[in-house]
Parts: sequence; C-alpha cells; structure tokens
Amino acid sequence: MAMTVKPWQWGNVPGHEMATPVKGDVVAKLIKSAKRPLLVVGGEALREKWGDKLLIDFVAELAKTGVPVVATAHTYRALRERGVEPAAIMTVADVTNRLQDPSWSVDGKGVHDLAIFVGISYQLQSQMLSTLKHFATHLRTISLDRYFHPNATFSMPNLKQDEWEQVLNNVIQVVRG
Amino acid sequence: MAEKGPLKISAKELTSGLVHAKDVEVFIGRLAMEEEWEPLGPTPFPSIATLRSWDHLLLSRYKPFYAPFCDYCCLCTYGKCDLSKGRLGACGLDMKAQTARIVLIACCIGAATHLSHARHMVDHLIEKYGEDYPINLGSDIAVEMPHARLITGIKPKTLGDLAFLLNYCEKQVTQCLSAAHTGQEGSYIDFESKALQVSMIDHLAMEIADVAQIVTFGFPKGDPDAPLTWVGLGVLDLSKPVVLCIGHNVSAGIEVIDYLEKSGLGGPGETVEVAGLCCTAHDITRYRDQAKIVGPISDQLRIIRSGAADAIMIDEQCIRTNVVYEAQRVKTPVIAVSDKASHGLPDVSELPIEKIVQMLVSGSTPGVFLPDLEKAGAVVALTAIRMAPIRQKFKIIPDPSQIQTQASQCTFCGTCRRNCPIDLPIDQAVFNAKNGNFELLSMLHDVCLGCARCEQVCPRKIPALSLIEAAAQHKIKTEKYRMRVGRGPILDTEIREVGSPIVLGEIPGVVAYVGCANFPNGGREVATMAREFARRGYIVTLSGCSAMVASYVKNEEGKTIYEEFPGAFDRGGVVNVGSCVANAHISGAAIKIANIFARRPLRANYEEIADYILNRVGACGVAWGAYSQKAASIATGFNRLGVPVIVGPQGSKYRRMYLGRAEDKESFTVYDARTGERVWVGPAPEHLIIALETMEECMVWTAKLCIRPNDTTKGRMIKLTHYVDLYKRIYGRLPPDLHMFVRTEADIPVTFKDEIMQHLKEVGWKPWERPSIDPTLLKRLVRV
Repeated sequence: MAMTVKPWQWGNVPGHEMATPVKGDVVAKLIKSAKRPLLVVGGEALREKWGDKLLIDFVAELAKTGVPVVATAHTYRALRERGVEPAAIMTVADVTNRLQDPSWSVDGKGVHDLAIFVGISYQLQSQMLSTLKHFATHLRTISLDRYFHPNATFSMPNLKQDEWEQVLNNVIQVVRG
Repeated sequence: MAEKGPLKISAKELTSGLVHAKDVEVFIGRLAMEEEWEPLGPTPFPSIATLRSWDHLLLSRYKPFYAPFCDYCCLCTYGKCDLSKGRLGACGLDMKAQTARIVLIACCIGAATHLSHARHMVDHLIEKYGEDYPINLGSDIAVEMPHARLITGIKPKTLGDLAFLLNYCEKQVTQCLSAAHTGQEGSYIDFESKALQVSMIDHLAMEIADVAQIVTFGFPKGDPDAPLTWVGLGVLDLSKPVVLCIGHNVSAGIEVIDYLEKSGLGGPGETVEVAGLCCTAHDITRYRDQAKIVGPISDQLRIIRSGAADAIMIDEQCIRTNVVYEAQRVKTPVIAVSDKASHGLPDVSELPIEKIVQMLVSGSTPGVFLPDLEKAGAVVALTAIRMAPIRQKFKIIPDPSQIQTQASQCTFCGTCRRNCPIDLPIDQAVFNAKNGNFELLSMLHDVCLGCARCEQVCPRKIPALSLIEAAAQHKIKTEKYRMRVGRGPILDTEIREVGSPIVLGEIPGVVAYVGCANFPNGGREVATMAREFARRGYIVTLSGCSAMVASYVKNEEGKTIYEEFPGAFDRGGVVNVGSCVANAHISGAAIKIANIFARRPLRANYEEIADYILNRVGACGVAWGAYSQKAASIATGFNRLGVPVIVGPQGSKYRRMYLGRAEDKESFTVYDARTGERVWVGPAPEHLIIALETMEECMVWTAKLCIRPNDTTKGRMIKLTHYVDLYKRIYGRLPPDLHMFVRTEADIPVTFKDEIMQHLKEVGWKPWERPSIDPTLLKRLVRV
C-alpha cells in the first residue's frame, strides 16, 4: 500500500497529485536506471550533515559515478575541492528554466530523463519542482533531501537523519555498481 | 471626500455641425492649465494597450518563467479546477495564464495599496494645506517628479495636481484588475503586460505619496547629509512613556509629534519616546530625527510582547492582523486611524479626547478606531503618558530564568520547524532549552522572521518566539545602530555629476537594496552585501526594511554603513531614500539620468526612456526579503523601466520570474541606432527578475546584472573587474560566460589579463566586429 506522507512544510499542499514517496533501494534503482540523469545541487548542501561529513560530500561521491552535476548557489568551489568538475554553474532558476525545454541538455548529449535535486533550500526547491511538474512533462524529478517534496515525481518521506543517511549511502553503493 | 481633479466628459460618439468624433474624452480643468514645458511625447496617460508593444518586446527576451504555488484555480464557483500537467480549467484557462493572472492580482493589490495610501495622504494634506500648496523640492531639483512627467506628461505644481494624477492611477488599477475576472484575458503574455502596466502606475503612486509628504511635512529634500537616527530593538529609553507607530502612512504619527510639541512636552524622546516599526518609522524620523526606529516588520511581535509600548498607533499596511490581541496581552491600548485597518475597534470619532483617553486607560476597550488624525495624535500621546505608570512596561516575554520551565513541555515533535517559513530548527532550539542550553534559541533571534507560526501549531502551546526573545535579552539591549534618515529624491545636480560615469560604466553600477524582511538568513546579509558594493564604489541605495537592517553590521571601527560611507548619490555613497514609497526616487533617478544627463525627451516618452535605461543605466535592485504584494509591484515596475531585480529564495513564491537565455543570441540582439543593423550585445542584463538562493550567489549576480550594452571600454573593464573578482572569490575560477561580455581586449580587467586571455583563447573567443554601437530595442529610434 502506498505511503501517505504530509509535505515537510505543512502548508505546502499543491494538489491531489503529490510525489511518490520512496526510500531504500528504490531511490538507488531510480537513479541507476535513468539514461540521462542530471544532478542539481544547491547551497544547503554546504550546511546539511551527512554522517560526520557534509551533504556536499555525498554529492561529490555520487557525481564521481558519472552523473553530470549542475552547481547552483555557491557550491562550485566545494565540489572542485572534492575532485568534481561540474558540467555547469547556473542558478537553480536557470537550470530549471532550461529543463523545461525538451531539446536542452547540460552537455549536448541528449535530453535528460531524470533531474535529481539535492541540497536546495526547501521552499525554493519546491517552487522549481513545481515548474518541472507542470511544464516539463518529459522529465521525472526526484529530491534526495530528507524532506518530503510533493511537487517532485519521487521524494523521500520526511526521514530521520540516520534513515536518510542510510538511503544516501545505499545510493552511492548501488549507483557505483 | 470630493474628487479634486478636473471634470471629465466622455462620449462614444460626438456629432455637431462641424465635427464628427468617436471615443471623445474632454477634461475641463487642470489640463487646460498645463504649460508647454516640453513637446508632448507619444504616450501621455498610457492605457493598458499603449505600452503593450514595449512589454511584448521585453517579454520576447525575458520570457516569463512560472513556478505555480498551487495546482488549482479557486477563483470562481466552477472551481476548484485542477490545472496541473496541461489541463485547462472550466473557463479554458491554462496554468501559465492562471499563474500570470495571480501575479497580476498581486501587482494590482500592491499598486492599489500604495495608491490608496497616496490618495489618503494627498486628500489629508489638501484639507490641511489647500490644493494650491506648491510642489517645491528646492533649488537642486528641477525635475521634481520624473515618473509623473514621464508617464502622464504632466509637470505637477500643486497638491491639487497630484490629486488629479491620482484619478488616472485609480482608473488604471481598476482596468488592470478587471482583466483578472473570469472570462477576460486568456494570454499569459497579456496578463504580464497588465502586471507591468499596473506596476508602472505603482511607481507613479509612490512618487505622489512621497513627494506630497516631503513638501508639506518638511522632510529632507534630497539632502545627502540628512541626519543620523537610531534603529534597533535596544534604542528605546524605557524610563519614559513610549508611543509605538506601526504601518506606512505617517500622517497620524506626525500628529502625535505635533501634539507633544504644541503641548510643551517637547520633541520625540524628551518626555515621551516616539518610535516606529516598518515604513511609518522611516517617515517619523524624516520629520524629527529624535524619533526612533525599532526595526523592520519582523520585530513587530517582539517589541509588542516586550511591553515597551504604552500606546500603539496603527495606520496602514504591514500591521500584524492580531495586533489588538497581542497588545491586549501586555495591556497596551491600540489606536487605529485608517479605515483600511480598523480591526473591529469602536469608532470614537464623535467623543471628546478626554473621554477616549479614559476609555483606553481604564481598559474598557482594548483599542479604538479614530480616523480624525489630529484628535488621534492627542489621544495617543495622552494615553501613553497615563498608561506608563499603570502598565510598568508589563511584558509577556519570560525572564531567562523561566525559559527552561516553559520549554520543558517540548516533545521534539518538529511541528514548529515544519511550519517555519524559513525552516529554522526551532524544535532543536526549544529541546536544547529544555535541557538547559539556550544558545541555539538565542542564535535564532538573529534570523527568525518573528511571525510566530511556530506557536500556532505547537501541540503543547509552547511560546517559542517569546522563548527566543527571552534567550536573547542580553543581545537585544545592545541592538542600537545609527542610520541616516530617508533623504528622499536624488538631486538633479547629483545626476549631472554621476550620469556620465554611470552610463559609460565608470561607476560600476547602482545597487538598490529594497523591500521587506522575509530574509532567508536574517537582515545581516543585506548589511554585508551593501557594504561590499559600497566599498567597491557602486552607488548603494536603500529603502524600507532593508535600509534598516543594513545598519546591523558594524565595521572594524564600530561604524554602520551610514557612518562609514557618505550619503551622496555618488561613487561609494550609501543613500537611504526612505520608506517604501520613496522607492520611486530610485527608479526616478534612472529616469533622470536619461533625461538630465542624456537629454532624452522625458514628457510622456516611456518606451524611449525605458529602452535607454535597459541598455545604458547599470542598475540592479535586490529585494532579498521581499514578502508583500507591494514588493511584487515595485519589482515589476522596475522591470518595465528596464531595471533588473534579484529576489531572495522566498521570492520564488511570487511564482514568476522574467528569465533570459544567454545562449539564445537572437534574443540579445538590438538595433544599432546609427545604422539600423541588428547586433548581438551579449546577455546584458541576462534576466529581469530572478530568485537566488544564497548571499554569495546574489553578490556575483548583482555585479553581473549591472553590465550594459552601452558600457565604454573603460566602463566594461571596471564592471568586469568586480564581476570577475567576486566570481573568483566565491567560485574559485573565472566566470564561464566571460566571453559573452568581453568585446575587445581593452575590456579585459588588467589585474586578470593573462588569466582571462588564456581562458578566452581556450573557448575560441574573437574580438567582436561591432564592439561599440548605439543600442536600442526600438526600431523607430534608428536614425537612418
């Protein structure tokens, strides 16, 4: 039976169709099965913890598996310091704007089929996911933050810190293959 | 109130022996007296359709980007209609058009609010001073109201002229709002055009409101050396009775001060403290700099609960709508003076002053509605004086010793955090306090928006906001900052001095920190950004709540930016123009540059002036904490005039941005007015309005959005120096889009020359064939 999840921000109820809550292996499998995923990372990744590290460390690990990254906010330097060269530096609005366009891709190698949002402040991320929900019907979205994002196609169901870190660790393991 | 404007006669068709005309409108009165101060331009008193082509031009480059807040439309009885994923509503509207419609409604609310404010102000002042009272801003300001001249073609001379202009504004707001009715407009682009129209009107309304109060109340008339005043939660002398004015319309606050002075009680602060919150606070300090500013809107509950105020006067806008309840909790009477915000209080207009004061002091009513401003001034002052010994500054913020007890009910359920607009870890802070650690609670004081949504949802009824304030008491006492009072307009003489270096790019830009206090990480980020750009030689202008919080970070010498930098509209100047309505002076300065410096015709010539500003005036607005519908219309008004705006992450909830796509070269081509050829000029500016996530990102984009096609080589080099320097500091590399801004080698900043040349070589950059042109979007301005 599908989980019923309340959006992380209680007031953020957009409509009757909300994200499919996912955790465990499903998250990793979704990313692994995507043909042209794109990882969009925001400023919260520099503040959120991932174990004794920062969320940006997880992003770097995931990026090293070959998922192209768009560095939004001021995350670029931190990614470079972790050995990752992002495919682009953009604002989150700019990358969301382009993701609406089915002819656009960050590297010119074909349209993206999965946008993975992580470490973007909740309200801003929610609005960007709303744009994609309404105007990028060719695209699926997933939020890797631990807060339930109703506007995504898939989202974590408001996980506790340790549960969430377990999911992220699993993602790294599975995607690395 | 009788209408002060001229008589207007309209006829669909008029036939006489000599003439046959259709759609005739005849004004008898003020227009007949209008002097020919400049040949009339093409668009006097523009209606919705008049500037539509300009809007469509702008929006073909800066396409509306929508982020719907809700999947449904709930505006008519067919609904709710689910518009998600391409579905149409019962009326046929799709999600883009519906979102644009909501944006239009927001802009109409914003414009109507300023306009209604202006109407009240002007009518009140006409009653007090007469409709022939002159509009005189001093010898250094000849172009007294650039928006009025630009939009309507009128050069206002008296308060009566302002009332006439308001008639036009009111008609436009009504027209634009009517387009939002079900079954009217269906195109998102045309909804946006109307949002741009009504937001242009908003700037005119703001100009009218502020100029009216400047000329009659004796506010500073563009004085760069306007006095310093005090701002902060710790500025009040609590040994005295305290009057707290909340809102935006200072007419009533001035009556309080006048009453005190006429009654021999001295000016503000002598026997009675007169302080304010939000924009009315700005304006009482423009009247008397001894008045004080408690802080922005986010401090409203804090100061009420602190018990500092012995009488609260509310006028209009940005008032806590449960102000009466909150004030009652600390035994502070409320006097409401505006029929727009009467809060269910009894109308006591017919009662004598003494009787009203008795009612308030005895507590027989928690407050009164008293729209007679002169009487209200006396009532507020007397009530504060008599309540002070009774109340003894009664407060509901607990003593620090009580924090742990009150926090002990916390179960760490997280409900508070999940209802905090900026997702603050209130749950952790309260839980820590339960265990005796108040540090996080105290830290939250610096970033909390003060909305108390956390308290509303707490299942244990823990007063989290009050606990935050209790934990921060030691800090609050030291929150005293110096801020230059709002100086109002920019002088024509200043425009003559800086027009050339701004247009040629040698002053790298004009940055306007404007708007409200819905900051993602507290107001100190605004202070940090403003100081950064002032130190870099940008002209920094400020208004509203942003102007207040910009003083919250002191430099190494303990000075706020208002003490560190001069108040002149010049390189490295920090210019507080004043309250929300004073924003019109910032957009007005851009208009004046086009007119006074560049000698572009001003009168009813909107398109050409906006085109000039877009292509030549390196200005950028930053509304980092924008929350209100007024902020939506202010920003959109700047956009129509060609000024880009950055909003903070919360600003994404306005649901719409205007975004360019730098790689779409065709959209960034313009006419060279000298030859008529279409020329690519690079993405300058790249966007008209965008929401950003972090302060660091905002600083980089502020520098970038000041770049303009018309920059001279020296100017472009200076602007790129700042863009590159900030980019390297924050991102640790050169901007990847640098090749889109370097036209010739001479544009390259000397400091980074080798590095940039290497980068340009790698990306295959070549010097532009046409680095210097006369850029315009308007074909009619091509001279061949």
